[in-house]
Amino acid sequence: MSADLAERFTAVLTRVFGRCETVADLPAATARVQELIEELDATVLAGSDAPEVTTVLAALPGGGTRLPHDAPREQLLAADIGLTTAQLGIAETGTLVLESGREQHRLVSLLPKVHIALLPRSRLVGSLVDAFAHLSPSGGPPRARAITFITGPSRTADIELELVVGVHGPKQLIVLILDTL
Amino acid sequence: MNPHAPEQFPSNAREALTDRTLRTALRSATDLFAQRRAAAIDAVPDWQQLREQARAIKAEVLDDLHGHVEKFAAAATAAGAAVHRAADAAAACAIVRQIAAANSAKRLVKSKSMATEEIHLNAALAADGAEPVETDLGEWIIQLAGETPSHIIVPAIHKTREAIGQLFVDKLGIPPSSDPQVLAAHARDRLRAHFAAADLGISGVNFGVAETGTILVLENEGNARMTTTLPKVHVAVMGIEKVIPRFADLAVFLKLLPRSGTGQHLTSYQSLLTGPDPVGGEGPRELHIVLLDNGRSKIAADPVMRQTLACIRCGACLNACPVYQSVGGHAYGSVYPGPIGAILSPQLHGGERAAKLPFASSLCGACKDVCPVKIDIPTLLLELRQRAMQPGKQSSWFERLGWRLWAWSMAGPRRYRLATAIARIGQKLPFVARIAPPLAAWRSSRELPKAAPRPFRSTFRSEP
Repeated sequence: MSADLAERFTAVLTRVFGRCETVADLPAATARVQELIEELDATVLAGSDAPEVTTVLAALPGGGTRLPHDAPREQLLAADIGLTTAQLGIAETGTLVLESGREQHRLVSLLPKVHIALLPRSRLVGSLVDAFAHLSPSGGPPRARAITFITGPSRTADIELELVVGVHGPKQLIVLILDTL
Repeated sequence: MNPHAPEQFPSNAREALTDRTLRTALRSATDLFAQRRAAAIDAVPDWQQLREQARAIKAEVLDDLHGHVEKFAAAATAAGAAVHRAADAAAACAIVRQIAAANSAKRLVKSKSMATEEIHLNAALAADGAEPVETDLGEWIIQLAGETPSHIIVPAIHKTREAIGQLFVDKLGIPPSSDPQVLAAHARDRLRAHFAAADLGISGVNFGVAETGTILVLENEGNARMTTTLPKVHVAVMGIEKVIPRFADLAVFLKLLPRSGTGQHLTSYQSLLTGPDPVGGEGPRELHIVLLDNGRSKIAADPVMRQTLACIRCGACLNACPVYQSVGGHAYGSVYPGPIGAILSPQLHGGERAAKLPFASSLCGACKDVCPVKIDIPTLLLELRQRAMQPGKQSSWFERLGWRLWAWSMAGPRRYRLATAIARIGQKLPFVARIAPPLAAWRSSRELPKAAPRPFRSTFRSEP
């Protein structure tokens, strides 16, 4: 069941110019992030306060600049990579759901050039309807004050309808689905 | 601002029809959107059921708009937002100016919003030296050019890449380019500086949830996330008809809106905001929601026209409309163009200003077929036409004479035969159209129907 969800999530996200890979566990994710840092020639790396993110950042070899989620905005705006987790993934639409309050990732997922998100496989749901049921379990107020749905990198078609990927938000979105956390 | 006025639709349209660049751009844009929409909808097996669900949710709201707005206001207030009521455009602008003044805000950024276009907010704030910088790429281009949007979803649809490249050379002093990738990269650089410095962000609202006080803003570029996250104060201007009852209803509309608008399964970003971030660590410390009436209560009180307010501003009816496809958005001379504009604008403006717009339609019904919330636009167009022609608003003497002659000729078979005989002879006299100026005007865009050389009845009688 959850293997199907991951496959579907990956297929849909890839169609909207997102990258999506599956890794076994957190050490494997760390190794992959290290490769991506080299591939992207990144030097400034910002991370949210999620324990998984902290673990990955601590395990990475040194070098480059590391920024916390509450670094000055000018620095975050100039960062190469923002590393966060996501609270949910929606397979139907290839969408990450970020709930503020559960993690400080509102800026780190938005301001750097590339957003890398760690998504434990167990957090995948099938549809938008399922996601809304999770976000407001009792039908009462949603669990988080700011919820962000992210489906692919930022994009525009405002000039002659030609697609440009990467406008104001991240130019790339890379999701690493973790089999086990 | 807009050189065109809605009461001049016929002359605006004639002008637009001679603009080859505009017509080519419109045609390729509307065709492309229509194709993408069709493809996106094919992938949804229960599309008709979804439309019906959305229509029913909107009808539920509009049957008691006031009650739902009150519920929304209470929930948003409980979540920590400051909720303001604006009866009209002037009141809404005054509220936003006041919020800006109270925060000594001079550097404003704004993400794309039809409601703020409707109230001409930028001009009002410019009077205080605090004109917001538009941050949606299309809107920014339009702002640099000093123009107005021509499409709900693609504001700069009427401009070519070369024209935009030249505009950037003139206004930003960049090296010449007509490559959208390069132009967008310049926009990213320039606008990042504005985002970083902004002390107040203004956005619209796509949906407001009555039970939770949540507002949802939908976009592709990330500028709305920037606008609603970085400045310490966020002002959201929301037409009161944007209220929906339940949080879970958002799932229905998120399936319908992007597919209908751009043919995407989902736009890149949705921000669901419930109150401000009181600690101010990651979001605005203050959230102000300006509830804009501006004629909407009056529309809601009219049981026939009420469904106009179900519109979710996807733009599908514009892309499907043969009139919009030919003349574009500016000809309507109104913030809301196309079929939805032709019914919404006359009701929002009232009086004579946009009374001609309901006549700018062939009543083909394409708008009704594509509308994701099933607004019966053709019926509403007819209703508004009828209202525009109520007693006291007389039709021309020539039209009245024509109808009287028609009624007379239809009253008996002999009269009818006489009338067709006159028509057969009359159409051979070319000066007829010229001696009757109203007829010449009517003929300028139509073919006069031709009477058959031999009436059907006489053919019928002569055949064995």
